[in-house]
Amino acid sequence: MKVSLSWLRDYVDLPIGDPAVLADIFANLGHEVEGVETIEPQFAGVLVGKVLTVQAHPNADKVRLCSVDTGDGPTDIVCGAWNFEAGATVAVAVPGAVLGRDFTITRREIRGVVSNGMICSSKELGLGEDHDGILVLEDGLPIGTPFVDHLELPDVVFDLSITPNRPDAMSMVGLARELAAHFDMSYRTPSPDLTVTSGQIDLRVDIEDDRCRRFVAREVRGVHVRPAPLWMAQRLVKAGVRSISNIVDVSNYVMLELGQPTHAFDMDKVADSHIVVRAANPQETLVTLDGVERQLTPEDLVVADVRQGSSLAGTMGGLESEVSDTTVNVLIECASWDPPTVMRMSRRHGLRSEASARFERGVDPNLPRLAADRMAELIAAHADGTIVGGVVDNYPAPIEPLTVVLPIDEVERILGVPILSEQVTDLLGRLEFSVTGADPLTVVVPTNRPDVTRAIDLIEEVARLYGFDNFPSRVPTGGDGGLSPEQRRLRTLRLVVRGHGFSEAHTSTFTGYADLAMLGLPQGDRRLQAIEVKNPLREEESLMRTTLIPGLLQSARFNLAHGAASVGLFEIGKVFFNEDSPELGLVPDQPEVLAFVAVGSVGSADLAGFGRPVDVFTGMALWRTIVGQLGLGEYRIAQAEIAGLHPGRGGYIERQGEVVGHIGELHPSVARSFDLPGRVVVGELALGPIIADPGLWAFAEPSVFPPSEFDLSFEVAATIPAASVLAESVRACGDLLEVADVFDEFLRGETKAVGIRFRLRAGDRTLTADDVTAARERIVAAVAAAAGARLRGA
Amino acid sequence: MDELEQVADDAPGLVGAVNSLEGLKGVETELIGKNSVISRMRRGLSALDPDDRPTAGARINEVFTGVQVVIADRRRALEIAEENTLLVSDRVDVTVPNHRVTLGTEHLLTTVMDEVSDIFVSLGYRVATGPEVETAWYNFDALNTPSTHPARAESDTLYVDFGDPSDEMLLRTHTSPVQARYMQDHVPPVHVVVPGRVFRADSLDATHSPVFHQVEGLVVDTDITFADLKGTLEYFAKAFFGDGRVIKLIPHFFPFTEPSAEMHVSCFACDGSGCRVCSNSGWIELMGCGMVDPNVFEAVGYDPSAVSGFAFGMGVERLAMVRHGITHIKHFFENDLRVLGQFV
Ligand SMILES: [Zn+2]
Repeated sequence: MKVSLSWLRDYVDLPIGDPAVLADIFANLGHEVEGVETIEPQFAGVLVGKVLTVQAHPNADKVRLCSVDTGDGPTDIVCGAWNFEAGATVAVAVPGAVLGRDFTITRREIRGVVSNGMICSSKELGLGEDHDGILVLEDGLPIGTPFVDHLELPDVVFDLSITPNRPDAMSMVGLARELAAHFDMSYRTPSPDLTVTSGQIDLRVDIEDDRCRRFVAREVRGVHVRPAPLWMAQRLVKAGVRSISNIVDVSNYVMLELGQPTHAFDMDKVADSHIVVRAANPQETLVTLDGVERQLTPEDLVVADVRQGSSLAGTMGGLESEVSDTTVNVLIECASWDPPTVMRMSRRHGLRSEASARFERGVDPNLPRLAADRMAELIAAHADGTIVGGVVDNYPAPIEPLTVVLPIDEVERILGVPILSEQVTDLLGRLEFSVTGADPLTVVVPTNRPDVTRAIDLIEEVARLYGFDNFPSRVPTGGDGGLSPEQRRLRTLRLVVRGHGFSEAHTSTFTGYADLAMLGLPQGDRRLQAIEVKNPLREEESLMRTTLIPGLLQSARFNLAHGAASVGLFEIGKVFFNEDSPELGLVPDQPEVLAFVAVGSVGSADLAGFGRPVDVFTGMALWRTIVGQLGLGEYRIAQAEIAGLHPGRGGYIERQGEVVGHIGELHPSVARSFDLPGRVVVGELALGPIIADPGLWAFAEPSVFPPSEFDLSFEVAATIPAASVLAESVRACGDLLEVADVFDEFLRGETKAVGIRFRLRAGDRTLTADDVTAARERIVAAVAAAAGARLRGA
Repeated sequence: MDELEQVADDAPGLVGAVNSLEGLKGVETELIGKNSVISRMRRGLSALDPDDRPTAGARINEVFTGVQVVIADRRRALEIAEENTLLVSDRVDVTVPNHRVTLGTEHLLTTVMDEVSDIFVSLGYRVATGPEVETAWYNFDALNTPSTHPARAESDTLYVDFGDPSDEMLLRTHTSPVQARYMQDHVPPVHVVVPGRVFRADSLDATHSPVFHQVEGLVVDTDITFADLKGTLEYFAKAFFGDGRVIKLIPHFFPFTEPSAEMHVSCFACDGSGCRVCSNSGWIELMGCGMVDPNVFEAVGYDPSAVSGFAFGMGVERLAMVRHGITHIKHFFENDLRVLGQFV
C-alpha cells in the first residue's frame, strides 16, 4: 500500500516528519517498508489559468489559438490539444517556466502567431502518464496562483507491505490509528455530512447467500461525470491508482481512506430497483469491467438485478452496469463478503485487485455504513449530485466485538518481561481495545481487528507497541543436544567420497518420463514407479526422482560441455517411490541414497593431467574405502547383468544377504543418450545401512611373532569370481590368517588365473614350516572342491 | 725408529692429499696395510731388546692409532662430499606438479547447513530431519495455517499424486512440518534444528528456485520467552557472521508463531553504513521467527498453558549468497565444477 504523508496528515497530527524515522516506526509496528519516495514538483513557474476564448489558428489546422488569463489579463497561447473549450481551468507554463529538468518555456512564434507559453498536460507536468490532452482542472481554483500550491508537493510516499492478517492497515485511517497508537495521541475519522438529502431511496436488496455478510446501499441522483478534482486525482496517483472520473475516483478514494472497497453502479441499469446477492448459476457468464467474459460457477458470488449479474462480488464490477460518462443516478454499494470466498474468486478468475486484497483480509463488517455515507458525501460534493434520503442496510447477522480475557502473568510468561496491567491497558487502549479489570484483563476487541481473537493475540499487540527493541535477551541452553552417531557418520562418509576426488552436487528433486526412459530400465522396475507432481512447473519436472543418477549424468554433461575433461560428482539425497513409507505411514517411501558418477579420470593424476581412466573399479574402490573407513565389515560384490549398465561391468553390493545398491559402468547406449563419451561409472547405494551405527569395535592385540607369507596361483573357470576364490581361501585358512587378498588376475581363454597372497601369523608362537604347509594344503583342497580350481604350476 | 717417525710426520699430509674414497683405500694400505712400515715394525718388535720392547711397542701403537684417526676423518669428509655431489645431481624443480591429487569439494549448501546446525548443536540442540513429500496436515494444518490460506493454493505449493486423494500430499513448503513431527515424538524440553530441502511453485530467477533449502529451529520448555528468542538469534548472528553483529526484530505475521518477527542482522560487509550487499540499508533480512502459536502446541498434543517456545527459519541459499556474494541461485544446482571448486 502506497501512503502519501500529506494525505496521512489529514487524519493524524504527526509530531515528526522525517521520512526515515517514520519508515522505522512503520516497520517497528509491523508494516514493512518496501520503499520511501520523495516526490518533488517536476516543474517551476506554472500558474493556474482560465481559457477565455478558443479560435482556429489562422495558418494551421492541427493547433488552436487560445486566449488565456493567468492573472495578468488575456494572453495568446497556441495549443495542440482539443480536449477543452473556453471556460476551462488549466495549468499554464508561462515564459520562464521550466518543465522537467531543463525545458525552459519561452515566448515563441508558431506559424506566424506569438504563443506566450504552453497549456500543460499531466505528462508534461510529471503528474501522470495521460497524454491524451491537456490537464483540465476543476473550476474554482484561483486564477494566477502557483499551480504547485494545489498539489501537496513536495510529498513523501511510503510503499508499505501490509501482512495478510491486517485488513485494518489497508487504509489511511487505519495507518493513522497505528501511528497515533505509537505516539500515544489521537487521530481523526471522517464524519460525513449528510444533512442535505432529497427524497427517499427506493431499492430492494435481497441477500440469498450468507457469504454476503452485509450489503449497504445509497443513492445519489443527478450527477455529472467528469474528471475528479486535482487534489483527489493527485492523491490517487500517489497511491498508485489511476484517476478515471469523479465517480470512480471517489469510490477508490473512500477505499484507500477507510479500507472499505466500494462499488458504484449506474442506478438506471438496475432493473426494477431490485438487487439480489446470490451464488452464480452454472453456465452463467458475466462480462467484467475489463471487457472479459467470465465463465462463472456456483462458487462465485454475484450482485445481480432480477435479470442478470451486475458485478463479481468484492472482486470486479460488470461492464454493463458500470458508471459511464452519461450516468446520472449512482447506486453506491458497500458490502461485507466472506474473505475466503473473495480469495478463491479472485484467484479463479485471475483478478487480484485493490478490492480483493482488502476483502481477502477481512474488512470490518461494521465499516460499510460509514463508507457509504462518505462516498455519498464526496459524490455530492464533486459530481454535483443530490443525496437521496435513507439507506438500505441489509445486515442479517450483525458482528459484535469479541471479548477476550487476558491473565496478566501470561504477558510475562510469553514476553519475558513483567508488564504491569496498567501499561497493558494503556497500550491496548491506544488501539481502541476497551480494557476493564486488573487481572485478568477483560478486553473488547474492535471489529476492525479480526486477527485478534485470543490472549496470545493481545500479547502480540502489547509486544508490538511496547517495541521489540525494548525486550531483553537471554540465551537458553541445557538441551541434551549433539549430533547422532548416524549424523556424524554421514559427515565422515562425505569426506571419504570427496577423498576419492568426487565433488558434492545438489541436483533437482524433479525428473521427467524422458529422463527415466533413457536409463533403459525394465518394465516393473521400482524406479519407474515415480510419483507425479499434480501441478508441475515444467513438463520435464513432472515426476519426483526415483534415482539421483539422471541428475548427476546431466550435471556431468553440463561440465563436459563447459570444457571439463573429467567429472566426478556425488550426491546424497532423497528418492521417492509410489509406495507407503515403512517408518512414517501415510507419506510415500522416501529413502536417502548416495549416488556418484565419474567420467574421464578422478582422484590423482600426473603432470600431464592423466590419471587412471575411470572404469568399474573406480566405483568399487570407492565402495571398498567406504567399507574400511566406516567400519562396515562384511559385504559382498555380486557380479550381475544390471539393466542400464554394461552387461559385463557391473555388480550389486550386498550386505547381510540384502542388496544395498549397485555400481558399474553405464551401458554405452545409455551413455550415448546422455551425450557422455567413453566409460561412465555410476553407483547408487542406500544411505541407511552405510551410516547406521555399527556399535563398538573390539581391539585385536598385535602379535609379537614374525609372519609367514606365501602366494597361491589358482586356475579356475573364467566365470568364477575372484572374490569367491578368495572367500573360500579365507574360510579354509582358518585362525592363523592375518590377511589375504587377490594380487593378480588374468584371463586365458576359458579359464583364468587368480593369484592370492597370504600372510599368516600366530599370537602365541612363531609359526613352523608344518603350520604353513598344512594351511596351504587346506586352502588348495578347499578351493579345488568349491570352485574347481587347480593350483597353477603344480 | 726414524722410519716410524717419518710415517707419523708424513701421514696427515699424505691422507689429506687424497681426493677419493678409492685413493684413500690405497693410502690406507700403504700406511697401515700388511706391508706398511708400521706392520713391518710390529713384526720386528720381538727382535728388539726386551727392555726396549715396551717403549717401542707403545710408540708403534700410538702412531698406528693416530694414522687410523686421520684416515677415518678423511673418509668421513670424502663420504659427505660424495653425497653432496649426488644430492646436487638429484635436484628437482619442486614447483612442478608432477603428482596431482584432486579431492572433491563439499557443496556450499551442505557446508552452510552443517555450520548453522553446529552453532545450535553447541547450544545443546539436536538435529532432526523429516520427509520432503509431506501431508497437508503436517505442512499446514498442524502449523495453524487455515484451509483458506493462500499459501495452500496450487500457485504456491506443489502437490503430488499419492495415496488416497482425500489426504492432500504435497512437497513441504518449509522445514516446519518436522517441528510438528518432532514434538509429537518427544516430550518437552525440545531444542532442535532442522536442515533440509523445501519446495515452492516459484519459477527460477536470480534469488528464487522451486527447490531450495532451509534451516528451522525450535525450542520448547516451561519458561521460554521472547527474550530467549532474541538472545538466541543474537548468538547465531555473531557466530555465523562474526562478532560485532547486532540484530533487530521487526514485527511480522506468520500463521505458526505469535508474536512473529523478521530478523535483520547488521551488514557484515559495511558494518551497517550501507553497501551493495545490504542494498544500502545497513541491514540484511535473514529469517522469520516468533513465539510458537498455542494452536501449534495443541495440534501436536502439548499443553500451551504449561509450555512456551520459539521457532525460527532461514533460507540456506540466501545465507550462502549473502555471505559469499553469489550472484544467481542457479549456481547451487548446476553443479558446475568451476563453481563447486570454489566451495572450500
Ligand atoms: Zn552493507
